[in-house]
Amino acid sequence: MDNLNLTRRGLLAGSIGAASLLALAACAPTASPAASSGGVAGSKSKIGAVKGTLTFAFWGGSDGETAGFAYAKKKFEAANPGATITLKILPYDGFFQGIDRGITSGTAPDIFRVDYTTIGKYSAKGVLLDVSPYFSAAESAAFLPALWEAVKYKGIAYGVPHQTDTTAIVFNKAAFATAGITSVPDKLSDAWSWDEFSKVATKLRKTLPDSKYPFAYDWTAAGAYRWSSFLYQAGGSLFTADLKKAAIPSAAATKAMDFTKSFFDKKWVPANNTIKTTIYSDNFFLNQTVPMTFIGDFLIPELADPKDGYKGGDWGTTFMPRDKSAASDLGGNAIVARKDTKNPELAAAFLKFLVSEDSMKYFCEQAIELPTLKSLANSKLDYVSRPDAMKIFTEQAATISTTVVKESTVASFATINTVLQDQLELAFHGQSSSATISAIAGGITSALAS
Amino acid sequence: MTKTEADRASPVTTRVSARSASAPASGSRGVLRRVNASAAGMFLLPNIVMIAVFTLLPLVFAFVISFQNLDSLGEWTWVGFGNYVKLVTDPVFWQSMTNTGIFTLFTVPVGMILGLGIAVLLNGVLPGRTLFRSIIFLPLVVSGVATGVLGAWMFDQSNGFINRILGSVGIGPTAWQSDGFWAMASIILVTLWQRVGFDMLIYLAGLQGVDPSVQEAATVDGATGWQRFRLVTFPLLGPSTFFLLIMNMIYSFQVFDTVWAMTRGGPGFSTTTVVSYAYRTSFDEHGPQLLGYGAAVGVAIYLITLAITAIQWRFSSSRDQTD
Repeated sequence: MDNLNLTRRGLLAGSIGAASLLALAACAPTASPAASSGGVAGSKSKIGAVKGTLTFAFWGGSDGETAGFAYAKKKFEAANPGATITLKILPYDGFFQGIDRGITSGTAPDIFRVDYTTIGKYSAKGVLLDVSPYFSAAESAAFLPALWEAVKYKGIAYGVPHQTDTTAIVFNKAAFATAGITSVPDKLSDAWSWDEFSKVATKLRKTLPDSKYPFAYDWTAAGAYRWSSFLYQAGGSLFTADLKKAAIPSAAATKAMDFTKSFFDKKWVPANNTIKTTIYSDNFFLNQTVPMTFIGDFLIPELADPKDGYKGGDWGTTFMPRDKSAASDLGGNAIVARKDTKNPELAAAFLKFLVSEDSMKYFCEQAIELPTLKSLANSKLDYVSRPDAMKIFTEQAATISTTVVKESTVASFATINTVLQDQLELAFHGQSSSATISAIAGGITSALAS
Repeated sequence: MTKTEADRASPVTTRVSARSASAPASGSRGVLRRVNASAAGMFLLPNIVMIAVFTLLPLVFAFVISFQNLDSLGEWTWVGFGNYVKLVTDPVFWQSMTNTGIFTLFTVPVGMILGLGIAVLLNGVLPGRTLFRSIIFLPLVVSGVATGVLGAWMFDQSNGFINRILGSVGIGPTAWQSDGFWAMASIILVTLWQRVGFDMLIYLAGLQGVDPSVQEAATVDGATGWQRFRLVTFPLLGPSTFFLLIMNMIYSFQVFDTVWAMTRGGPGFSTTTVVSYAYRTSFDEHGPQLLGYGAAVGVAIYLITLAITAIQWRFSSSRDQTD
């Protein structure tokens, strides 16, 4: 008893002590990153010989990606005696938490990979190296304009667009034949309209048992923003042109929301192909719950894998459906360097090397991903797997408009994507289109204002 | 001086004499005490440092951060009680509290009843009881995330093991992942599977501490088997029951890994628990990473856990007195 009483008193004393320590701990300094101070664009484009050691961190998305980066490191070090790039391959889960902790403690890798929808967060906080001085006008112009824009914040480039990917449709040929779907679009201009796509889904629904569904969509978890492709296809957008306000509610938003909600009402997608689930659109295709799925091209190696890949027979690829226009999402990654890296010249030289034609070509061919250089986008790459599928994805990538890029790279995109996740999840479980769109608009306005 | 007075006085005299006689030795004992105290301090120091650095300091920082708008890159501003105001007006927080309450309500009593039943069965003379005990205890040593992933596979509503089993006996597919009720049910079932071994273990230890003579006395007095269990055995398991009740309540209130691995808090917010909400708000790499608000949710969890612990102390202290 005595011990318990003493402990209770101790607890009370501890609580008071903890409360008094609040003030002390509150004084703990926390650095606020300073704004970027770059140089004149192109002023340092001829970097010359570089030496030193830097660390480059990336997540190992696939064996092809790892091989691509290893190739660039080897070539770069051979071309620059005295320069060493230490590759740090990390798991995707927790990657950015590690980067953030490293930035606040000054131990982050000098160079790291970042997806286009996350780069805005780092650019806006001024923690990235301004690479504009290292790229001449001609070098900047060598990139696909939309993707060079994707690495910019307030007109300054804070990284290099390394590769891109986008969504298209993969389907089982036998299931299509069984449903009487005898032809699929093989040119972007012939992509299904929403009506035509609906007819395809209806035909599949009729021939499939109750336990199977016509298709799955890749909007799970952080992919929620891919719902916006339907909004863009319907002629709408998330933000106004100046990116300062929500451009919804709108007729296009209502149309897109009604259309996507109907996927569940008509049992075109599995009931658990929602946002908060542990099963992704490729999983539904791989386990043959659906004969058609929307996936990113980076998943082609997974489907084509002879051992663990798709076992449902021959599969083909076609384009996203279109309404008023064709549209697809911005996927892919940039490579950035820390502003406070000890050797900015070496970092910039390596970034430039990664996006050189030879490095990018090798990387994309190995990883089955799309290049960001105009010269490569317009040429035929020797993809190591399913080049026929990549032909479709390459054409589909042309529908990633400037609007899509601008809206996907705003600094507060993560917050907006979370709003999309929550509200789409509710919409797909019965919340009305108007309530959903109104809530998304509120979330966007709040996020853009913060 | 009478004999009685002499007797009364003698102990004092003896003690004084003894003190006088041992005066030089007292100094040695003082040195010894100081040495012992130093040694004890050295042994305690690592623990004190660990508790201070890894428990108390983070706790204090969590309180501090809950009064800030802090992002993942370390930029912060003071917001006073802003996060707490937001907390009490946040419908998702209250829904997560309700979900946590429902989860606790179904996992704690049911798990304890099952654990007690299994412990009673395995406390008797049963062939292979050691093997059965190990099998039932085994899920507890598996990590919560692994259990959750396993649960997600088993309760996959399209291709999962559970629906296939149900289908084989003529029961139609259950929407374990797209219906809020069934999603919560699946998490509760997986949690029970994992935790019942712990309940069994504690009750088994309690049962083995019950004096057989008390049972025999009850039998001699004509008590039936159920009466012996209800009126003799179960009351004697009081300390085990209290311990399990509190530990399970704290565990249930802090559930995260199983939920995150199985449902991500969905469908909708129907399985979002307080801790999974705090995690998503603060640490989701593709989310807003509102560390200040997440800390405020954490402080709320801390205070509720503190209240549960205080209740435990109150009841366990009276239980100590009874015993």
